[in-house]
Amino acid sequence: MIRTNLRGVRGCRTPVLLFMALLWAFLFPAAGAASGTFIYDHADLLTAEQEAALAAKAAELGARRETDFIIITLNGTGGKDIVDYVADFYDETAPGYDGPHGNAAILAIDLEQRDVFLAGFKQAEVRLNDARLDNIRTKITPHLSAGRFYDAFDQYLELAHKYMGFRPGVNPDSLFFNTGFQLAVSVGLAAVAVGVMAYRSGGRVTINARTYLDASRSRVVSKSDVFVNKTVTRTKIERNQSGGGGGGFGGGGGVTRGGHTFSGSRGKF
Amino acid sequence: MVLHYKCPNCGSDMVFDADTGKLTCPSCRNRLDIESIPENLRGKSPGTEAVRGRSPDPGGAADAGETVTYHCNNCGADLLTTPETAATRCSFCGAGVVISERLSGDVAPHLVIPFKISKEEAIKAFKKWCRNGLLTPRGFMTADRIQSITGIYVPYWLYDLNSHIKVSAVCTKVRTYTSGDYMYTETSYFDAYREINLNYVKVPADASRKMDDELMDKLEPFHYGDLKAFKTPYLAGFLAEKYQYTDNELMPRVKDKIGQFVEQYIRSTYSGYSSVRYKSKQIDTSKVQSYYVLFPVWLVVYDYDNFKHTFAMNGQTGKVVGKPPISYGKVAAWFGGIAAGSMLVFKTVSLALGGGFL
Repeated sequence: MIRTNLRGVRGCRTPVLLFMALLWAFLFPAAGAASGTFIYDHADLLTAEQEAALAAKAAELGARRETDFIIITLNGTGGKDIVDYVADFYDETAPGYDGPHGNAAILAIDLEQRDVFLAGFKQAEVRLNDARLDNIRTKITPHLSAGRFYDAFDQYLELAHKYMGFRPGVNPDSLFFNTGFQLAVSVGLAAVAVGVMAYRSGGRVTINARTYLDASRSRVVSKSDVFVNKTVTRTKIERNQSGGGGGGFGGGGGVTRGGHTFSGSRGKF
Repeated sequence: MVLHYKCPNCGSDMVFDADTGKLTCPSCRNRLDIESIPENLRGKSPGTEAVRGRSPDPGGAADAGETVTYHCNNCGADLLTTPETAATRCSFCGAGVVISERLSGDVAPHLVIPFKISKEEAIKAFKKWCRNGLLTPRGFMTADRIQSITGIYVPYWLYDLNSHIKVSAVCTKVRTYTSGDYMYTETSYFDAYREINLNYVKVPADASRKMDDELMDKLEPFHYGDLKAFKTPYLAGFLAEKYQYTDNELMPRVKDKIGQFVEQYIRSTYSGYSSVRYKSKQIDTSKVQSYYVLFPVWLVVYDYDNFKHTFAMNGQTGKVVGKPPISYGKVAAWFGGIAAGSMLVFKTVSLALGGGFL
C-alpha cells in the first residue's frame, strides 16, 4: 500500500514517505512477523478472554525481544517426561520469532504430575539461562500452586521479557537496577557532597600532628611488650553441600532429539 | 609615648610595605631597612633580659594605659584607642602611629612576622575566594565591602612544650588458620608499656580576646622562617594589639590543641597489634618556654542578612578562613545537580547492561 503511494507521488515527498515507512518498520517490526500460536491451553485453564489477552501480550513483548514466548498447559504428557515433551514440541512445531526453530522461550505446566518446566532456545538460551529461568520459576510457582494460572503466565511473560533485556552475566534482580535504590544512593550522595561543601566553606584546618613536633627530640624512651597468655577458639567450617539438592528441581537444559540445545528449569508446583 | 615615622627626606608619614618588607614613604618612595633601625624596647624593665619562662603580670602595664588619652604627633588630634591598642592610624590625618608603652618592657613582643600580603593582594584574594565559594551567594562580597579590610597584628603566644608520657595497655594479636574442618582463631595478649618523650616547638595560641579561637586556629600554619626580632616600625600603618591573656592563662588551650597529636603519637607506637586497650595513660605536658609574638592577619567584618560575618586571612600565607553565608539556591542547585547526575549515570549503566531506563 505504501508502495502504491510512493509511485503516485513525485519529487520531494518521496523521501519523506520513504522515511516514514522506515520509521514505521523500525518502530513496529512485529507487524508482519508475529505469527503462529503462543498459547497452547490443552488443559483448558484459561478463559477465552484471558487467552486472547495473554496471546496479545506474548506477541507484543516477544516482538520487542525478537523471541516467541510460548505457554503450554497439559493434563498429562502421554507418558513423556515434561522436558522431553517440550523438546519434542520444539522439534515438531518449530516455533521461533526469526524463523522455524528460532528464538523461543517455552513455559510448560502439567497438571497431572504438577510439573512446571521453562526452556529457552537459541537467543533465549543465552539470555534466559538456567539461573534466570530458575528465578522466573521460583517467582511464578506460588501463583501456580494457588491455581492463579493467569497471573502466573502473565508474570512469566513480564519476567521473560525483562530478563532478556539484560546482557548475559548480569544479575537482573540486582539491587543496582532498582530505581528506588538508585534514587536513594543518588540523593545520599548529593547530600553528602553538599554537606562536605558547606562544612569546608569556612576553611579547613591545615596543620597535622607533625607540624609542631620536633621529631629529632621526640622518641619512645623505653618500651616493653610482655606476652601474657593466649586463647584459641575454633569454629566448624560450613562446607557447601554440592550436588545434593538436584532431584526434580533445577534440572537445567539439554538437547532435543532434533539437535537443538536449550536452557531449562524444572520443578513442581 | 606615641611613635610615628616621618620620612627623613620629605617629611611624609611612612608605612610598612608588605611587598618589600621595608618602611616606605608613599610620597617619595624612600625606603628604610627596619632591621637596621635601633630600638630599645626592653631596656626599661631590667627583669626581662630572658624571654624564657617569662610570665608578665597582667595587672601592671596593661591597666596603666587605660585612662591615658593619646594624641597624634602629626596633627594633635585625639587617638581613638582601646586599652589593648598598640598601633593604629590617626582617624583624623591617617598617619600610622605606634603606642610604645604597650610594646615595651613586660609587654614587648619578642618576635614578629611582618605582613607579606599587601592590602591590594588581600582584597584581590578575598574577592577570588568569595567567587570560588561553591555555596556563597552571588555577589556576596562586593568590592566596596572588602575595602573595609583591616590589617591587624594579632598577639600570639608561641609555646615550646615537652610531654612526658607513660602508657600501659593490653594489646592483642589475632591469627586465624584452618586445620581440617575447623577454623581456629588464636588471640595472644600482651602487656605493652611505653614511655615517650615528645617535644613540640612554637605551638601558637592567640592571646586576643576578641578574635574567635576557632577562626584563628584555622589560619595556621604560620611559617616561622619569617620570624623577625620585633621592631615597632613593622606596625606602621597597621593596627596592633597587645596580649590580653598571659602565657600561663593560655596553657590549657595549647595543651588541648596538641592533645590529639599526642594521642596519635601514642597510638602509632602500638602499631602491629590488632587491638589496643589502655590501662593507664599518664601525659605530663609542661612549658619549656614561651614567646610573645605578633602575627599578621587581614580582617573583613560585616553584616549580611543581619548576621555578622568575620573573615580572616593569614597575612603571611594568604590562607582565608571564615564562615560565609550559604545560599539556599546554590545548595539546592548542587544537590539537585549531583542527585540528577548520579541518577543519570545509574540509568545509563543499567541501560547499557540491558536493564532498561525505568
